[in-house]
Amino acid sequence: MPPFFKYKKQKGHTDQSKDTRDSENHHVPELIDPSLSVNLDIIKQKTGHSSDIIVRTIITGNTPLHKASVVYVDGLVDTQAINDSLIEPLQTNHDLLEMLYQQDELDKFTKEFISLGSVHPVTNWDELFLTLMSGDTIILIDGSNKAWSASAKGGERRSIQEPSTQVSVRGSKESFTESIGTNIAMVRRIISNPDLWIESMKIGNVTRTDVSIMYINGIAKTEVVDEVRKRLKRINIDSILESGYIEQLIEDQTITPFPTIFTTERPDITAGNLLEGRVAIFVNGSPDALLAPALFIGFFQAVEDYYSRYDIATATRFIRVLAFFISLIGPAAYIAITTFHQEMIPTQLLIIVAAQRDSVPFPAFVEAIIMEIAFEILREAGIRMPKVIGSTISIVGALVIGQGAIQAGIVSPATVIVVAITAIANFATPSYTVAISARLIRFLFMISAAVFGFYGIILGFIMLVVHLVSLRSFGVPYMTPLAPFIPKNIGDTIIRTPLWAEKLRPRLISSTDNPVREGENQKPTPPKSRGMKKKNTR
Amino acid sequence: MEKAKISAYQLFVLIVLFELGSALLVPIAIEAKQDAWLAILLGTAGGFFLYLVYYGLFHYYPDILPTEYMQKIVGKPFGKLLAFLYILYFMYLAARMLRVFGELLITFAYPRTPLFILNALFLVVIIYTLRKGIEVVARTGELLFVILFLLTISGFMLIVISGLIDLHNLQPVLEEGMLPAVKTVLTRTLYFPFGEAIVFTMILPYLNQSKKAKLTGVYAIGLSGLTLTLIAVLNISVLGINLTTRSQFPLLSTIQTIQIGGFLERLDVYFMLFLILGGFFKISLFFYGAVAGTANLFNFKEPSKLAYPIGIAILLVSMTISSNYAEHINEGIRLIMLPIHLPFQVIIPVLLLIIAFFKHRKKRGK
Repeated sequence: MPPFFKYKKQKGHTDQSKDTRDSENHHVPELIDPSLSVNLDIIKQKTGHSSDIIVRTIITGNTPLHKASVVYVDGLVDTQAINDSLIEPLQTNHDLLEMLYQQDELDKFTKEFISLGSVHPVTNWDELFLTLMSGDTIILIDGSNKAWSASAKGGERRSIQEPSTQVSVRGSKESFTESIGTNIAMVRRIISNPDLWIESMKIGNVTRTDVSIMYINGIAKTEVVDEVRKRLKRINIDSILESGYIEQLIEDQTITPFPTIFTTERPDITAGNLLEGRVAIFVNGSPDALLAPALFIGFFQAVEDYYSRYDIATATRFIRVLAFFISLIGPAAYIAITTFHQEMIPTQLLIIVAAQRDSVPFPAFVEAIIMEIAFEILREAGIRMPKVIGSTISIVGALVIGQGAIQAGIVSPATVIVVAITAIANFATPSYTVAISARLIRFLFMISAAVFGFYGIILGFIMLVVHLVSLRSFGVPYMTPLAPFIPKNIGDTIIRTPLWAEKLRPRLISSTDNPVREGENQKPTPPKSRGMKKKNTR
Repeated sequence: MEKAKISAYQLFVLIVLFELGSALLVPIAIEAKQDAWLAILLGTAGGFFLYLVYYGLFHYYPDILPTEYMQKIVGKPFGKLLAFLYILYFMYLAARMLRVFGELLITFAYPRTPLFILNALFLVVIIYTLRKGIEVVARTGELLFVILFLLTISGFMLIVISGLIDLHNLQPVLEEGMLPAVKTVLTRTLYFPFGEAIVFTMILPYLNQSKKAKLTGVYAIGLSGLTLTLIAVLNISVLGINLTTRSQFPLLSTIQTIQIGGFLERLDVYFMLFLILGGFFKISLFFYGAVAGTANLFNFKEPSKLAYPIGIAILLVSMTISSNYAEHINEGIRLIMLPIHLPFQVIIPVLLLIIAFFKHRKKRGK
């Protein structure tokens, strides 16, 4: 037998033994023991005597001696609430507790006297630890084989702040926080409708992260919701630390520079997308919600487009798409023109450019690539640098690299201008994720331009288009509604038609049963008389 | 057959892009001199007729590819031979187109780049596309159609604004009667570009609403015929008949004459965009016809994998097809028009349609 077969078999064997060992370790006591001290021992053993697990044992009755324990994780709970509404009733109602205890009706006590949000009985250890670790408080009463988990979540969290990446001049100034409950509530506050449905699950074998999917029943497509649910259920991984983990595990196509799932940190964008029929995925600990299915054109729709008037919105959107093109093929076109197609430049300009490039020792491609890489390094350094030394980088960047390189004759001023325009154009894309892919693809365009001039650029462009139209996001073609062309939805793409003209929800995304989003005759028609209606004076 | 569906609009776009693909760039119907536009219009009428023949075949067998229904119409052994010949025909046409585009690029922009490199690069892009299937080709068409359309309109506006059009160049109309125009139609324009729509018999079965196939095709051929006519009128009226006849690429010459405000001039990139985008669809669709036909005839499970071997074959054929461009064009006009195009585009489909018609009548009679 060849050795690698042996190895494979052995590996399989060890895996199996590991599995059995794991299960022995974890599942010894399945149900909660009636004895309080045994239970507390199990908790301490299982948590490794961690110092943040607080156990408070209370005497609840003297004749006979009864004890109860309250267990919680320090920092995840609201200590004030636990003291007031949990420990105090246990301490003061000795007689009642005794009576109910004998009648075996402790549930009644927890229902009537513990004034916390929700209290429910727990009988097995798995569930107990799950609730304990997610911030619930556990009540154990001596002699009962049940425990109660009471919800008194609290602790320090970041408060709601202004959005940091998806900034807008007009519109709400809220952005998501790291707490999934707060995030869901923020969307719920915008869409006050019982049809806003939320499903929760825990993903991550070790981290047990809360993940929720949110959609509007009746507007979202059932197939898409099912698909999202199915893909989330499929995930089997030890940890989910950020929504980026989920995104990478459920996207349609992995070999692509383009994001097929939209991320946002704004509740209003989330609400808007839910209303178009998309599904939102929230992950605890992540201030970015995922939205699927995503369309390519969606990455150019800034939230302000919908808040400002349509003519302005259309103009700005044009600029954004133009900027995206410039950031893709700006340097490539410069390289192609200066190396292959000099005849395209008007003669006067050609003389200027040629004079500048006369003293430069490199071909245009090398020049451009030096400046592009220098700029990318500057940008990457700028992101992770402590804010205090921020001014250093601007001095180094502007003076040393910009002016110095030209004066030293390493690059020509025209190249610097092109690179700078490209860089600024790149920032005009509202979505950071698509801007990054443009940065990446730009280098491929530059190489093809350096080798084949415009022929290379056009072929690269065709390949890019082919790649884009072949992508799908949760079954929906990525370039919808441009390709496949859906005339009724074209109003919210490169142009934005007035709000009163956009009667239908996007066809391939939202449910087909309920496509109309506004009533007839929504175009505002002012009254015929010039002024306001006259008051009935006199 | 791969599992795919295309919409009527996508078919429309593909036909238009396909017809315009190369016919925009090279001189067509120039044998009819000033009446070239008339020859193209008459050719369009012929194009309608041919498309209706192809549609008739599709109408009898809406769910299967021609390579399959040929076997049903004329029997298995002969049908298989015929299907195989058609596959070779599509490959040959793809290789011809590839060669033409490579030569065009060499002539006007890359005189020192080897033809092989230019062709190979183009083919890499096309193989990449075909690997993704007909749906992706169709959607690419939809996107690029808009871009091409905007370019055409803006180019037209530029020519009009720069005041180059001299309609006197179109006179005299019908100097020698209708004969030259009709002769040009029957020997040239009917086969190139309109008869080449035979490759769409390989694509029609993917249409999601087969009822719309007829009108869509007719509209598309009508639009492309009108555009070609317009371009012919434009070329002759701008350049004059003398220059147009002698020019290798009349459209390029026309675009090169644009001069506005001393700034907008030498817009060769315009032409290059037309050239590459149009060529892309023309070659892709012939290539696709060959790939789909081969997969169907030889019961290949994964048609997309055939793109590599057939692509290499096309590349090699495109290199060895002729020793230089003049010979290539000469072959295209003298050698293949009547002996090859006429049977493959007209005679065989018409015969097939007649046999299919009688077969179906017999079936219905029972």
